[in-house]
Amino acid sequence: MNGIIELQIKEFLLVYLLLIVVAFIMKRCRIDKTKLLIVASMRMTVQLMLAGFILTYIFKNPHPALTLTYLICMTGFAIHRALAGNNEINKNFKIVIALSVSGSGALIVLFFVCGIVGVSFFEPQYVIPIAGMVMGNTMTGVALGVKTFRENIKEQRLRINALINAGAAPENILLPFMKQALETALLPTINSMLGMGIVSLPGMMTGQILSGTLPSTAILYQIAMMISICTAVCLATFASLHFGMKTMYNSKNQIIIP
Amino acid sequence: MEHIFSASALKFMDFISYPDFLIEKNKTTFICGESGSGKSTLLKLMNASLSPSQGTLLYMGKDIAKCDTLRLRRNVSLISQEPYLFNGTVKENFETYFSYRDAPVPDENTMRKYLSLCCFDLPLDTDCRNLSGGEKQRVYLAVFLSFPAEIFLLDEPTAALDEQTAFRVINNIKGYCTEKEITLVIISHDRSLVTEFADDVIELERSTGI
Repeated sequence: MNGIIELQIKEFLLVYLLLIVVAFIMKRCRIDKTKLLIVASMRMTVQLMLAGFILTYIFKNPHPALTLTYLICMTGFAIHRALAGNNEINKNFKIVIALSVSGSGALIVLFFVCGIVGVSFFEPQYVIPIAGMVMGNTMTGVALGVKTFRENIKEQRLRINALINAGAAPENILLPFMKQALETALLPTINSMLGMGIVSLPGMMTGQILSGTLPSTAILYQIAMMISICTAVCLATFASLHFGMKTMYNSKNQIIIP
Repeated sequence: MEHIFSASALKFMDFISYPDFLIEKNKTTFICGESGSGKSTLLKLMNASLSPSQGTLLYMGKDIAKCDTLRLRRNVSLISQEPYLFNGTVKENFETYFSYRDAPVPDENTMRKYLSLCCFDLPLDTDCRNLSGGEKQRVYLAVFLSFPAEIFLLDEPTAALDEQTAFRVINNIKGYCTEKEITLVIISHDRSLVTEFADDVIELERSTGI
């Protein structure tokens, strides 16, 4: 296998021309999101450049403290993004989400890096990209799950009030909402597993193959990655909703709907 | 005379003040008053789905704040103004509500008895999505009336019914409650129902000062 061909800056910049196609379609369809497209593209560029510089430094000067700091920042940002669309929930629910995302993510990354790959947890070359993929997907799953839970509860206020009046326990009342939200959070990951290898070659595998790794090795990493992501999303969303919903009712069995 | 509920200096969120009142056991008490006087809120305070900001509310002589709220809500059954039925048949609605209470589901004859009490004569396998507003309200009433309780709190139970059906439904419910020695509290704007069925009336006034 050959090593990867390094991209030249001039040729690399050509890729931004593709955004003109997106902007053109948006304009034609009168989707007023051109500004968001530009902001998102610029933000992504800056964030990835920063990540590139920082990772280069960390890889050249590997130190547990540096790796840990990077992981903490990554987790903090994942929690922030998971909460960003769910401002209406109470403070304790937010704390539960933060603990669930960080706890589930850390557990799965630890298992992957130390148990499956078999290297030190502080080996930046492994732990940082693996944590990035696990945390990124966990963040999306939890945000989607909590949003579904919150919106369904708001829509079904009548049902909740009727069941409270019927003398049902708050936990039993909220349980179907939790199940539905968990299913919604997990479906994108499970669907992507269904199409993997046939419809798409996923990012991690593509990256490894481009950099010269044998496809047989890349496949093993990818399978392990997908199962880990699925578990992390399931664990974090379940913990967020299971313990989060307990913050929505008090000792008098009154449910406080946000 | 035994009192099932008594209230003194009761306030909710500092903008609804209630007069002190007593509700007698095994009687039919109507709660009347203009919109915004806190009638529905009062029923929610009585089943502890809301808590008062001031004052005391006693159920069978015990402060509601100290009661086991789940047990209280099963004894003090509040049937709200806006009915909620699950997607499915009338029978499935009985089953679902009873499963939420962890209670054994009544047999079909018992279900029919309560439906007939509420003047609902359609079959048990009728899909609730096809029911009119009035029919939904009567099925909802029938499901809640089938729960064993010591007191029923009915919030505008006849709001979606015509005058004649409303009269028959309240007449049947009062007859059933008298026979079973169940106390009945009803919110209604319909003065003819009050005149006909009330043993006692609590008049609420809209608070002016905040």
